[in-house]
Amino acid sequence: MNPPKKIVFTGLGAVCGAGRTVDEIFDAVVNGRSAIAPITQFDATRWPVRIAAECNIENKILVPDRKLHKSISRTDIFGIYAAESAIAQSGLPEHRETLDAAAKIRFNDRSGIYAGSGGGNYGCNYDFFQSMAAAGGDLKKFGGQFSDSVNPMWLLKNLPNNVLCHVGIRNHFKGTNACITNHCAGGVMAVAEAAAAIRAGEADRAAAVGHDAPFEAETLFHYQRLGLLSPEIVRPFDRDRSGTVFGEGAASVMLETAVDAETRGAKTLGEFLGSGCATEATGVLDVRPDGDGLSRAIEVALEDAGITSKEVGMIVAHGNGTRASDASEAGAIRRVFGENPPPVTGFKWAYGHLIAASGIMDLVFALTALRQKVVPGISTLNLADPEFAPFPVSKTAQQPRNNVALVLCRGFGGMDVALLVRANP
Amino acid sequence: MTQRRRIAITGIGMVTPVGNDARTTWANLQAGRSGLATIQHFDAGGFPVRIGAEVKNFDAAAVINNSKLLKHSTRSHRFALAAAEEALTDAGIRPAISDGHRWGFCVGAGMMGVDFRELEIVQKFCAPDGEFQPDGFLADNFPADPVAFCRSQTNSGLALLTRHFKIRGYATAVHTACASGGQALGTALKVMRRGHADFMLAGGFDSMLNPIGLSAFCLLGALSTDNDAPARASRPFDLTRNGFVLGEGAGFLVLENWDSARKRGAKIYAELAGDGNSLSCYRITDSPPDGDGPIQAIKQALADAEMSADEIDYVNAHGTSTQMNDKSECAALRAVLQSRVEDVLVSSTKSCMGHLIAAAGAVEAAVCALAIRDGIAPVNANYSQPDPDCNVNLVRGKSQPRKIRAAMSNSLGFGGSNSCLVFRNPEVVE
Repeated sequence: MNPPKKIVFTGLGAVCGAGRTVDEIFDAVVNGRSAIAPITQFDATRWPVRIAAECNIENKILVPDRKLHKSISRTDIFGIYAAESAIAQSGLPEHRETLDAAAKIRFNDRSGIYAGSGGGNYGCNYDFFQSMAAAGGDLKKFGGQFSDSVNPMWLLKNLPNNVLCHVGIRNHFKGTNACITNHCAGGVMAVAEAAAAIRAGEADRAAAVGHDAPFEAETLFHYQRLGLLSPEIVRPFDRDRSGTVFGEGAASVMLETAVDAETRGAKTLGEFLGSGCATEATGVLDVRPDGDGLSRAIEVALEDAGITSKEVGMIVAHGNGTRASDASEAGAIRRVFGENPPPVTGFKWAYGHLIAASGIMDLVFALTALRQKVVPGISTLNLADPEFAPFPVSKTAQQPRNNVALVLCRGFGGMDVALLVRANP
Repeated sequence: MTQRRRIAITGIGMVTPVGNDARTTWANLQAGRSGLATIQHFDAGGFPVRIGAEVKNFDAAAVINNSKLLKHSTRSHRFALAAAEEALTDAGIRPAISDGHRWGFCVGAGMMGVDFRELEIVQKFCAPDGEFQPDGFLADNFPADPVAFCRSQTNSGLALLTRHFKIRGYATAVHTACASGGQALGTALKVMRRGHADFMLAGGFDSMLNPIGLSAFCLLGALSTDNDAPARASRPFDLTRNGFVLGEGAGFLVLENWDSARKRGAKIYAELAGDGNSLSCYRITDSPPDGDGPIQAIKQALADAEMSADEIDYVNAHGTSTQMNDKSECAALRAVLQSRVEDVLVSSTKSCMGHLIAAAGAVEAAVCALAIRDGIAPVNANYSQPDPDCNVNLVRGKSQPRKIRAAMSNSLGFGGSNSCLVFRNPEVVE
């Protein structure tokens, strides 16, 4: 059997509460600055949880085409911006311009795109409230008048796959594609499927993007009542952790074959090594306390990458700061890595929990950290939970053991995904 | 290079507007019986469109018989539970504690949906006069329902089904609008080929037949307004077609490695032989008139199946019955089939069962597998006036017996995602 095709990263993009470039966000991460602050998008002063890592960058700065703003939603603006940042860094648009007409067509058909999308929101349904209020519960009346107050393009504005198609249209990416709506796992699974498509020869290159804008009032309300949110801070793996905090934004990576990248002289930022995915079959909210599911996902990823656990130099954990998830995650890491795991960190204290974009955002900063040979500390950590020991998390920076990172992501539905990547300096 | 894994379809389950199981659905599609009618399960009397393709007389409790599961499931989740149960029973194999981690789950799921009655509660508390006020949630008497919240999550169907059936391997939910079901099966095929699962429960489920979903498609003007003649409202490829009919339902397939299916003596409906995917990069709702986009998906599916277009005997078209889709799809079929376009039978079963949106591709894949097994191309109902722009060999009048060596199913979604699946007759394989 031929060795699997080598797949490299040639572009990264990110936007979130901590900034709108990879450098800007990484600077906040390594310097311990958190973007979590009081919510301003609605008046939350009377709410029990009133903090989040909001991304308050003007839409026109992220996507200058203002006509487009009318037909897409907030999460789509983030997704399009991040994906196009990664595509721009890869230098592929300039490369495409050098091709003749026939080669351009082939380029388009061989360029794939994979999106991990939050999949929808509650707020879009509120566009119907005016009609519902006017109809006063009379469905017949509602049916006769909703078109007076709702935008005729309502459905298109709220399609979960908007980022996929608009990035495709704007960049001529006409190849294989998917929009994954699997809660937090969406973004990382987009990376895994993009890499699998290139490996299987279905595409020569593919952009993967994850995007979400999850903390609308109704979501905040339910998460808080379920005890998933901290009212003040995210402290991954801390003895006194009390829940997670929402963030919003998007992250993206551009993947292509190493041969193509080398041929066109592109700078490679790292290499995709492997992925693993499993579910715990526990329903929407529960996680298995023993970490089964996550440990299986890690083992599948190691096998997919053809490496052993000893060859992992650092771990970027999901670390959402909830009691149950962090405990089972530490258990899964211990189960695979034994008594001597490589340095572990997590980034949600810095930019919040971006749900569908969370894992791919962590991937972008795992690669960035490895390229700079540092494992950034968890700035909010006071006391690592002694229950997990030995578990190498730290408030201050650590040294990675080598240039390979394991990125973990978990989501509703007992979803567990593991990615393995190698960084190039 | 080692031989690529061959994937067999060994189980089928369906809940559709023409039948609450696969056998009834397939019998009615062959007979050309319409499942389209005036909407019954909510009062659509005031809407510009009052017809739909509803699942009828579906007794969830009788099929599922688990009150906790029913409480955690939406209308479309229940269709999914029933169709998945039927598929596993049909295959005669299901996940166990010992091998649940080798079972995967891929599903095309609808948009995040909130039950209209739950939306009415939010409106009453947070927007009594129409203007949204978030503090309404904080009212002491707001009836917060964590189960309803869980039901509305984007992957709640996945969570429900993997838990119920004890599937612990690779699991995913995809949404590319009307292409979702096809893409889910394509993803399942790829995951199995790369060895990340030995068995898959794969399919799609959806129901947008509710006041918000119906409003959304009415606003776009995508639906047929033939309120007085529902049975003929969906007429794909007919000159007088005027939009699709919104449907609901679920379809699931059990997929397994060919050799192990043979070894255990399983019946094999067909090989899931190839998957192709493309983006049209044209417009969000329209398909390019020349078929660009779908053409690439079809060619890629054939290449993926290591098959030439000469082997295709039947195409289950996306055929929504909108002006643009049908024209674009025919242009694509002509471009790919070329001189064989006169030989290859084409039909859209949406003519009888409407458009099942995220479930469409999965249900139509099941139809292709049954068409291969029985050697029958189901009828393209309601066709009477030819459209010169839709010049393909439609199955007219009644279903046609035909030995089908290979079949193809297209699913073309809003946003321009195109999915094409190719199925091979087991007799051709062996």
